[in-house]
Order: sequence, then structure tokens, then C-alpha cells
Amino acid sequence: MRIEELPHALPTNLADDLDLIAEMTADFARSLDIEETLRIGITHITSRMDAEAASIFLMEPETGDLVCRACSGPTDVTGLRLVKGQGIVWRAVNRNATELVRDTGNDPDFAHQVDGKTGFITRSVLCAPMSVRDERLGAIELFNKIGGGSFDSADRRVLQALAASAALALINARQAAAMAEQQVMRRELALAADIQRAMLPPERPAEFPIHGINLAARGVSGDFFDVVELPGGKLAFAIADVSGKGMNAALLMAKTASLFRCLAKRLDGPAAVLSAIDAELAETSSAGMFVTMIAGILDPAAGTVVLANAGHEPPLLCCGARQERIDDGMPPLGIVPELFAQGCPESIIDLNGGTLYLFTDGLTEAGNSHGMLGADGVARRLMPHRVRPAPDRLRALVSQIVDDGMTLKDDLTMVVIEDARQTPALYRQFQARPASLAAIRAAVAQALEHLACPPAVIPDVVLAVDEACQNIIRHAYGGGEGDLIVQVRGDAACLDIQLIDFAAPVDPARVCPRDLDDIRPGGLGTHFMRMVMDDVEFLAPPPGAGNLLRMIKRMGGL
Amino acid sequence: MKIESREIDGAVVVALAGEVDLQHSPTIRKHLMELMFERRPVIVDLAAVVYIDSSGIASLVEAYQQARKNGTRFVLAAVSAPAMRVLQLARLDKVFALADTVEAGLKA
Repeated sequence: MRIEELPHALPTNLADDLDLIAEMTADFARSLDIEETLRIGITHITSRMDAEAASIFLMEPETGDLVCRACSGPTDVTGLRLVKGQGIVWRAVNRNATELVRDTGNDPDFAHQVDGKTGFITRSVLCAPMSVRDERLGAIELFNKIGGGSFDSADRRVLQALAASAALALINARQAAAMAEQQVMRRELALAADIQRAMLPPERPAEFPIHGINLAARGVSGDFFDVVELPGGKLAFAIADVSGKGMNAALLMAKTASLFRCLAKRLDGPAAVLSAIDAELAETSSAGMFVTMIAGILDPAAGTVVLANAGHEPPLLCCGARQERIDDGMPPLGIVPELFAQGCPESIIDLNGGTLYLFTDGLTEAGNSHGMLGADGVARRLMPHRVRPAPDRLRALVSQIVDDGMTLKDDLTMVVIEDARQTPALYRQFQARPASLAAIRAAVAQALEHLACPPAVIPDVVLAVDEACQNIIRHAYGGGEGDLIVQVRGDAACLDIQLIDFAAPVDPARVCPRDLDDIRPGGLGTHFMRMVMDDVEFLAPPPGAGNLLRMIKRMGGL
Repeated sequence: MKIESREIDGAVVVALAGEVDLQHSPTIRKHLMELMFERRPVIVDLAAVVYIDSSGIASLVEAYQQARKNGTRFVLAAVSAPAMRVLQLARLDKVFALADTVEAGLKA
């Protein structure tokens, strides 16, 4: 028996092939600019595989054509386009298989016209497709083995390996580029959204008569609202919705918002403001874009609102259980400038203790499988939250819509305007927990000072309110989560303090002061309340609320 | 709210400062009851208390009752005007041992 000696090394040509594959794979993996790498790679491949020329074709996704993106050899065919179905290269891509053509003269698919144009004479071709899973990216094609022979099956295996590695590198590079682009877009969108939020008015204390909320369906919003303080205590306000969504809408929104801010202080009345914005938009904005908008002025001392409506959702005036839509209006801004030039009607609304709601169609068109919310749905959903201070009411409504599984199809903006003559000195919602008590005491003390309450009485009343809030935290909610509303009204003669919670109704009989002769910890709070205040009683809570505790303090003669 | 304890002549002086409300009274209660468990004489310095509510008073009452059972000293010293007002409202100003200063409380 003859024992053959094992070779100590791989055959030279196989080792060279493996070197080439390893080298090119490393280059491809490193590269971020893959086409540049392909250009360098093709020269390398050409010389190492003893080809006279080589080309890399990439498929154009839109047309399916193959376009030469890199080549080496005596003629430059970069940019050469082979339409779908043309040439050996297209056959290789289409079959997703390596094509070895020893004599192009015998191959019906060979594209003779290329040789005709370049003067190069193609005898044999080796072409390996580049594909990843089912995605066809292109092919690497070698022409004519140097020395006159043909490419062989060993060449085929090497080129196949190179093409596979090049394909992976191409996919990686494309995905990396797409991700980088997305990241830049996301950063820019986030920045734009920040700038937009900064254009919205700052959140004001709950007792301020106008509040708004804005939620963008995407990062940037096509909606806005604003409140501008005018000389003499009046407040100009606006709500608007720009047609379309995304960046275009956001830019037009920014322009409209700036115009409003500037014009509201200079022009006399909302009709004049809308007409001026309309003229400006019609002159400069891009075709097909328009803005629906309401502008108005609140006179807090008189409780009246003057407003003009350009194609916007009719505002809703809620007074007790009664609701009224303010339907007067013009078409949207930026469409027919002549109309506004002829005059724009204004509605004069007496709030009469009621509340005016303005909203964009993002609110009325919010919906689920049961349909859209609509203006009636908005009014219905406002009912249980009516007892809450305006900013909390807006948040409660919006979070309820989200909780109910309604999807926002559009940006959502809502503005509430209240009759300031009815606004208590303090009307705020707090989270019912011990950590809120310091803020509650500070707010109550401030309101009492504002009402010119005698300084000696203030600490006692603050104590009584604190104790009542503790009862809500400890007994009504029993440690659970919830909100409580503190409302302080009155004057130097009489204070009317109301505390509202949303817990299960409390039995007033169980809330009684303890016998002071019985010295024990606890149970003092209710005693303090009764000692300090003249009346302490539970009243029927308003709709949506759990309990209403009312405390009266008379300061007769003081 | 701040709570600081120091030992003087075998007694523990617990100085409370700031607003003593439902958020902080559990801490005060725990601290005072630990001292009661150790049967230490305690002087509570209320000079810097700007606000105290029923839960804060309740912590003091509970410690006071334990001190009585223990037969140890429990004195409220240098009671600030706001704290005194609340003690009066609860009619506890007649129940607690009160001292005008911490020094007087130590001697009581």
C-alpha cells in the first residue's frame, strides 16, 4: 500500500484566490462609500483573475436596467446602460446564476453592439450576479482571459464568492446610508417641533381666562393657537389649522402665527386681522395651501368676545347644560382674496358666565371603529370634566380621547375662553397626595392675600384647607391616586372655599370632629376645620365629581 | 422640613424646622417613637416651625402619651407662634408640658 504524502501547503493558485477573496471582503466590510470600493476592487479583481477587462453593473430599481458603475481595462464603459433583457449580464442577473461563456460568438444573448461602439473584441465572458436573498443588485463581469484561453470553473467559484461578498457590502452600505439620512431627518424634525412648541403661548395660571392645548399627530404641527395681551386688559386670541400635514404645513403655520402676533397688536378687530393675513397668504403662499382660522378679542371685564371665522370649525359656546355653535364665517384664508377685501363679518358673543371652546378638526375627526367624535361628541365628552379648571379640563378631554382608543388623524388643538368675571381667586387642580400640600397652602395663602383677607385669619384658613385636603387624600382616596380641585372665592367680608374630588362619595356622618377631652393622636383635622370656618358642609357634587366640600368663613365687621 | 437631634445632659433635644405636614409627620413620628422606645427624656424644640397641621400634632400627642406611660420627660420648648396657634386650636396647650426655651425645658 502506497501512502501519499499530505501537501504542506495549499496549491499556490487556491491560496491566491483565498487571499483575493479575504482582501476584497475586508475592503468591502470596511467601506462606507461602497461604489468607490467597487471601483478600486474591480482593478484588483481584473489583474488577480487575469482578465483583460471587467465591469460592475448595478441594477436601477426604477427601470430594471443594468448600468455600469465601475470598470477596468482598455475601454471605459462606465455609465453604459443595458436595458432590461439585454446581454449576458442581464441573463446572469435574471437567472441569479453565474454565466461562463467560453465563446461569445456562440451566445445569442451577447450584446455585439457594445464591442461595435468600443472597439474591444470580447471572446469569453465570466459573469457573477450580486444578490442578497431575493434582491438583485447587479453583477460583476469579466472579459477575456489574458493569454487567449477561457475562464474556467475555478475562476467561476472565485468570482461567485467575490460577488456574494460585494452584494452584502452593497446592502450594508445602502442601509447605513438610509439610516444616516433618517437620523438627520429625525433630528431636524425634532428641532422643528421644538421651535414650534416655543411659538405657542406659555402656560398661564389656571385662573387666566384663555388656555389652549396642542398635540401634533406627527413631530411638527400644522395647527397653532395664540393669546396676545392688548393694551387696556383685552386679550387677542387665535386658533388656526393649515391644510396638509408635515413640514410644509408647519412652515405655513409659522408664517401665519407670526403674522397674527404682529397684526393683532396693530389692527382694530379680528375681521381686519383675518383680512390682512388673507391678503398676505394669497399673495405669497404656494398654490393649493390654505389656512382655516378664528381670530378674536376677549374683553375680560365685560365678559364679551368678538370673533371672526375663516373656514374654521364653528366654536362651541357652553353655558350650563346649553350648547350653541357659532356658525357665522368666511371661507379659509389664502384662497379668494377679493372676498375678504369686501369685508369679513364679526360675531359678538356674550359669555354670560359660559365658556367658549375653539378646536381644530383634529379633535372632531378623532375617531375609532365607531366613527368620528364630531362637535356633539366633543360637547358630550366635555361634560364630565366641566368641573375641572380649564387647563386640566383640556388635558382630561384629550387623555380620555386617547384612552378610549381614538386615533388622532390630524394635529389636535383646542382653546378654551372663560368668563373671567366668574373666575374664582383660586381655581386649581392638584394631585391628591401629601407632596401637594405645600403647593396647595402656598396657593391658598396667595389667593387670600389677593382677596384682602385680614392677615391674622390667613394661617387659620390655610390650616382648615390643608386639613380638608388631608381628609381627601387619606380617607376619600384612601391612598389611591386622584385629583382634587381647590376653589377660593370671596371678598374681605366672606370667603367661600370649595374642595372637589373624584373619589367615591364619602358619608358625611363619618366625618365628624372628635371629642377633645379624649386626648389621642388623629381625628383633629375636622375639629380644626370647624373651629376655623363658620360653615363646613358636603354639597351635592357637580357632574363628574365625587365629593364637594364647602367651607365658609365670615369676617363680619373686619 | 428639617429634623435635628442633639444630646444635652442626658436628654435628647429634637429640633423641628419648617413646615410639619402630612408629608413629613411620619418621619417625625418614627423618630420620636424610637426615642420613646429607648425611654429617653425628650425636649422638642419648635422655635423654627412655621407650620404644623393635625398630623404633626398627632405625632407629638402619640409621643407624649408614650412618655407618660414610660414616666419620662416630654417637653415642647420655644413653641413658635404658628405652632402655638394650632396647639391652642386643639386645646392641647393645656395638656403638653411647655417651656419657653430649650434650656428651661432641660431644667423642667
